[in-house]
Amino acid sequence: MTWQLNPQDQWLWIWAIVLGAFVLVLGLIPLLQVLPPRGRRALVVGITFLAGLFFAAEFFMPVNEEQKNMLTPAIQPAQNLLQLIGALALGLGTYGLVRLHLKNVVQKRTQWGYSVVLLVSFVTMAFFSIWNTLAEKELAPKTPLLENSFKLLFDFTLVQLDAAMFSLIAFYIFSAAYRAFRIRSIEASILMFTAMVVMIGVVPLGAYISYDLMGFSAEPTPEGASFVQMLVHNLGLPKVANWILTSLNAPAQRAIEFGVGIGGLAMAIRLWLSLERGIT
Amino acid sequence: MQPQTIWQKMLAVDRRLLYVLLLVNIVMFLLVPVRMPASISPPVQKFYDTIEALQPGDLVMISSNWSASTLAENQPQLEAVIKHLMRKKARFSIISIEAQSRDISYRLAERVTKAEGYEYGRDWVHFGFVPNLTVAIKGMVTDLPNTIKQDVRGTRVSQIEMLKGVNSLRQYKLVIDVTPSGTVPIWISYSPKEVNIIYCPTSVMAAEAYTYLDSGQIKGMVTGAKGAQEYEQLLGIVGLASRFTNAISFSHVLIITFILLGNVAMFMNRLAERREA
Amino acid sequence: MEWLQNFLPLTFDRAVVWIGVLCTIAIYSLLYRENPFYRFFEHMYIGLAAGYSLGPLGVDILYRYWIEPIWVQGYWAWAFVVPFGLYLYFIYSERYGWVSRLVIGLLIGASAGLFFQEFSSRYLVQLNSTLQRPLWFSASNPDLTVGNLIQNYIFLAILLTVMTYFTFSYQQKGTVKGIATAGRWFLMIGLGAIFGNTVMARMALLIGRAYYILSDWLLIRVGG
Repeated sequence: MTWQLNPQDQWLWIWAIVLGAFVLVLGLIPLLQVLPPRGRRALVVGITFLAGLFFAAEFFMPVNEEQKNMLTPAIQPAQNLLQLIGALALGLGTYGLVRLHLKNVVQKRTQWGYSVVLLVSFVTMAFFSIWNTLAEKELAPKTPLLENSFKLLFDFTLVQLDAAMFSLIAFYIFSAAYRAFRIRSIEASILMFTAMVVMIGVVPLGAYISYDLMGFSAEPTPEGASFVQMLVHNLGLPKVANWILTSLNAPAQRAIEFGVGIGGLAMAIRLWLSLERGIT
Repeated sequence: MQPQTIWQKMLAVDRRLLYVLLLVNIVMFLLVPVRMPASISPPVQKFYDTIEALQPGDLVMISSNWSASTLAENQPQLEAVIKHLMRKKARFSIISIEAQSRDISYRLAERVTKAEGYEYGRDWVHFGFVPNLTVAIKGMVTDLPNTIKQDVRGTRVSQIEMLKGVNSLRQYKLVIDVTPSGTVPIWISYSPKEVNIIYCPTSVMAAEAYTYLDSGQIKGMVTGAKGAQEYEQLLGIVGLASRFTNAISFSHVLIITFILLGNVAMFMNRLAERREA
Repeated sequence: MEWLQNFLPLTFDRAVVWIGVLCTIAIYSLLYRENPFYRFFEHMYIGLAAGYSLGPLGVDILYRYWIEPIWVQGYWAWAFVVPFGLYLYFIYSERYGWVSRLVIGLLIGASAGLFFQEFSSRYLVQLNSTLQRPLWFSASNPDLTVGNLIQNYIFLAILLTVMTYFTFSYQQKGTVKGIATAGRWFLMIGLGAIFGNTVMARMALLIGRAYYILSDWLLIRVGG
């Protein structure tokens, strides 16, 4: 059996195989439905375990001088498979969104007019996005209509709306900081003091205040300086902010990393062995 | 009950007034025709030095994962990085794990490289969008041409002039991750140890990355717009970030002032209530 | 007069800038109060974002990893992948929804299997880096200074106190509780740094919008 057909001569076979694959795989669902719940779970657990086993084994197996073992050549097709499945998984979100808003329109729920706006925008953008991507690969013609429409829809509508939407958070942070940031405990004081030093220290204003107004040294610590000299030499806000970030913040973040790492490893093993209920 | 004391009025101020104040502050300091120079922080200096150490022809992978939501922070970073790489005559490929970033980074790179005479295919290439970065990196380490298959223009990787003879990510000298999300741990975890990694996060993600800087897993970092300004200063260029910094500095002053004002109003209001009681 | 000619949307390139500003103002109208203008543009944004993703997903991925290998190169076995991936879409079916767990299981299994490499490359390296910090002067660390030594002790103290704070396997009391409290205070430093950086990030995004309106639309020279 050959894994590769000639697309020029055997294109009919290829079409037949693709259609057959859809019929076979999707037609398998009623057959799988016959399985009892324990059988279904066993199938899901089996697929989960085998998928994890492949990557774990590939990592743990010894490698030769080319950094490869017997499973390494299979990484690339596994990559292709997971990219395809990943893309279909991302499409699930889009499908769910369109499904919801189509229902709104068909059933004329409250504010269904906005759902019409969403669906019209969706279809228009999808059309030009697919056309643009195909045109980039020279699989479709690139016309002035495409260029101008995509420019309008992407550069000057989607990008602007996206940027504006996320910039709203600045207003909310400012309002929340004024109304809710209250120093009621030692922890809140430490958090606020650190935040203020970092906020002023990392921006040019901090450098201006420290080096131009207050006269601290902007130069690096001289070689062989004593501990006291080093302290005095690093009193500027930018240096203090950098010291907070590298010497005080970094170990705290590392402690969180260790916790996350150990928890992640435990969770990975539980997920791999399907010990976690409600997921698979 | 109507607010009576000034402290109660301060605590009950309409949030829309605060929004207007913030906007006025930002516009005012954007219009000020004075630019304050930045103090170059060690992570940015290390970032700059890592790219400076590249030789002409060295291969660099840029992982551009940002969308328009973080345009103001990541765009100046990517522009400055590309300009620096062109200055060093390094060849670079761009890959995106975010759909919008594919077109944003491609169009940005086309605009910036055209101005400097960098040619697509010979000097730089865009690998397009891949949803799963982890397996993409593993695949690129094993077999780059068959993992990426073709660039955004549909050209097979094996036929791209810049990538002739390139079979693995190991042949790259550097990975630059320009991202608003936590993708740098993925590059750290799965890319070859001999490939250096430098990082351009948005400011939100920067604090978490200092542990990687400390352990040497990343060699340098440009944090958000203020890091991009420091980087532009090192490069001797005036980009977007350099134009933002006045406004960033004084918006921080405004926020700190109002946090302090809010706390003063709270304390004074409590004191007044206790006196009344 | 020249400014006015350049400012008005008399060409396509200027008209699109006006549309961009209209989008920005529409979103910012939410700051005053919820209104139909904002709702319209919000729904348009979601529709555009969802529609746009079909291009990269459909062409960059489906064409590159499915259509081309089958119809251009002839590797017919890939034909079975997309129908299997479509099992995900049965998640909306009450009767057949469980088949989506087959695909989800594949994705979760793969992520779990990959985590071992991540643990080794990401966390063990950090552990190694922590354990290699010198804590006394010796011939193997000739460049060690007093300042660096004190920094190393501070680093370890913060690391251990914060890790103690996160240990919830037993009741924290006495000395351990004191250490955990210190860890919480040090953690506040990290959170303060994150807060400061978050404020900076959000302000930058707003400044970017203000820059666009002033520079690209009003054609005012900004930023020095």
